[in-house]
Amino acid sequence: MLETFTPAVCGSRKRQIVAQSLFAAAAVATAAALGLVLGLAGALLGAERAVLAAAALALLAAAREAGLLRVPLPQARRQVPERWRFELPLPVWATGYGAGLGAGVFTFQPVSTFWVACAGALALASPLTGALCLSLYGAGRAFMVVWPRRRADDPTAAVERIVGKRGALVRANVLALLACGLLLAAAPAAGGATRIARDAYDPTFDARVLAYGTQRGEVVVRPPGEPNIVFPDASHPSIDGRYLAYRDSQGIRVVRWRNGTEVRRISTSGATLPALDWPRIAFVRKGDRKNRIVVRDLRTNRSDVEASAGGSVDLGRPSLHRGRLAWRTASRSLTRIFVKRLSTGSRRTVAYSKIALLGNPSVRGRRIAWTEARFGVSRLKLAWGSGSGRTVETVRSRTRSYWTTAIGRGRIYSTRWTFGSGAADLYKTSF
Amino acid sequence: MQPPDASRLDRSAERLAAKLAESTTRRSFLGRVGAAALAVAGGSAVAAAVKPDEADAFHLCGHIWTTGSCPSPNPPHSRIDRKGYPLHPSSGRRVDNLGRFVNASGYPVDAAGNRLRGPDGALLPAAPRTRVCEDWTREQKGLRDLRTQGSWFRCCGGQIRKIVDCCSFSRRRINGDASLVGYCWGGRRVYCIMYYETGLPC
Repeated sequence: MLETFTPAVCGSRKRQIVAQSLFAAAAVATAAALGLVLGLAGALLGAERAVLAAAALALLAAAREAGLLRVPLPQARRQVPERWRFELPLPVWATGYGAGLGAGVFTFQPVSTFWVACAGALALASPLTGALCLSLYGAGRAFMVVWPRRRADDPTAAVERIVGKRGALVRANVLALLACGLLLAAAPAAGGATRIARDAYDPTFDARVLAYGTQRGEVVVRPPGEPNIVFPDASHPSIDGRYLAYRDSQGIRVVRWRNGTEVRRISTSGATLPALDWPRIAFVRKGDRKNRIVVRDLRTNRSDVEASAGGSVDLGRPSLHRGRLAWRTASRSLTRIFVKRLSTGSRRTVAYSKIALLGNPSVRGRRIAWTEARFGVSRLKLAWGSGSGRTVETVRSRTRSYWTTAIGRGRIYSTRWTFGSGAADLYKTSF
Repeated sequence: MQPPDASRLDRSAERLAAKLAESTTRRSFLGRVGAAALAVAGGSAVAAAVKPDEADAFHLCGHIWTTGSCPSPNPPHSRIDRKGYPLHPSSGRRVDNLGRFVNASGYPVDAAGNRLRGPDGALLPAAPRTRVCEDWTREQKGLRDLRTQGSWFRCCGGQIRKIVDCCSFSRRRINGDASLVGYCWGGRRVYCIMYYETGLPC
């Protein structure tokens, strides 16, 4: 195909440049469009699963290219249709060739790397990033058309020179695929955040089950290896074992999440933001003059006010686990994160700041996570025992920040949201 | 002939200015007199009394070659109100410590003044809005003795800008080098600077 773009075929030098430009633009645009679609598909599938699938595919491809495995490639064993350049005008066939080669799937593939690139775009789970990354594949296709001309010799001779170095190229390709596979496999455990749900916030985690609220006004429970269970007209979930507490239009409802059977209902005026640690439940009771955090034993119905603050002080979403209650207070002059042991009543200030906005604590055993927002930067913090806390992850943005958190096994689930639009996504970060 | 290196000239001038300021104890007489005049009289008569020079920017207008701005929600524009709380540099509206516009009650609002909502649709609570010198700089730099003290005046954008010193006993200023006596008093030196737009024409 390369000889197509010589003056002999394209006519004048000018027509050759036009043909090459159209080819390059079409190749890059088609590859970018493919990346866009794959990134979108990855976002719909959930990036967590896609990353591991991409890692497995990269390792499989490395083994295939090294000659260890014989795996057939899904491909159309064709070349670009030659008759196009006899029947169609130059702008059309040059663009068509570029689009056909940029898409990757319509022509013969000597190596399996293209499919790994596709899997990588899927794993990115971001349409724009996927488009940007895969457009490099189109740029590579375009480069192979332009490069022989710069060498000012026969394009087919240039290709033959590359074929002569096939052994070295194959080895380099194997190494690249191997590195790609290992990096992708390590990515989920490397501390980088992975988006696990879109338009979602308020994560809660217990016994390998994740639940969260959606911006459509639902609560979703995600048991591992099972279909999601959705509770409509619900928000602010908190899960503990087989029980789920959430807020609905009538107050706080506690259900068995597997079958939706209602176990308890709290209809106290102003009750919101539940935190369940069966049989205890903590919730915020908002009043005109004071906001309170109430802990109620759902078996005995005994309630105790564990924290209170003036009406202008925000208490945020509390967290309760194994008798340890965490919450924050935020006023115009100070924010603080507290942990209280309910059995002894002892209270400790975990963090405080006069300039940052601290909030959204979650407690699990002796660990506590919270968020720290400053102008242009927000951090996910984690402390163990009486430690002062370390930064697990940082978001540097003037428009995006952390919202609510939940600690899981070796990971923190967190909400990231955008100030202007209010859009929120759920992320998972290992620690 | 080679043209002079502008950055080298700048550095030399900065060193010279720092040396001069370090060796001088001006006790901020002019700054305090100027501030008192502004507070009492106001208006164009004061503008004439203060006699500010038209100033060009180095890191902000009115402040050339010397101490850096205090940490604030909109660095390096550490614009403050009369009480030392942060303001948006260009609009002059109140901002909280996250740089969001806030209303008189301290709740975050959009440009039109409507209260902002979180991802759950609920109205956002107020975040801290604290003083740039005594709270921001103190917490970020770990200095417990910071005070807003001296000030001087420049003409910026057609109005008098009051440059305010945030002073400490520290011998190092925010730039990392030796601090200047500047317009601080009581043994303190300039740690970083802020500014207040007086609104008075010049």
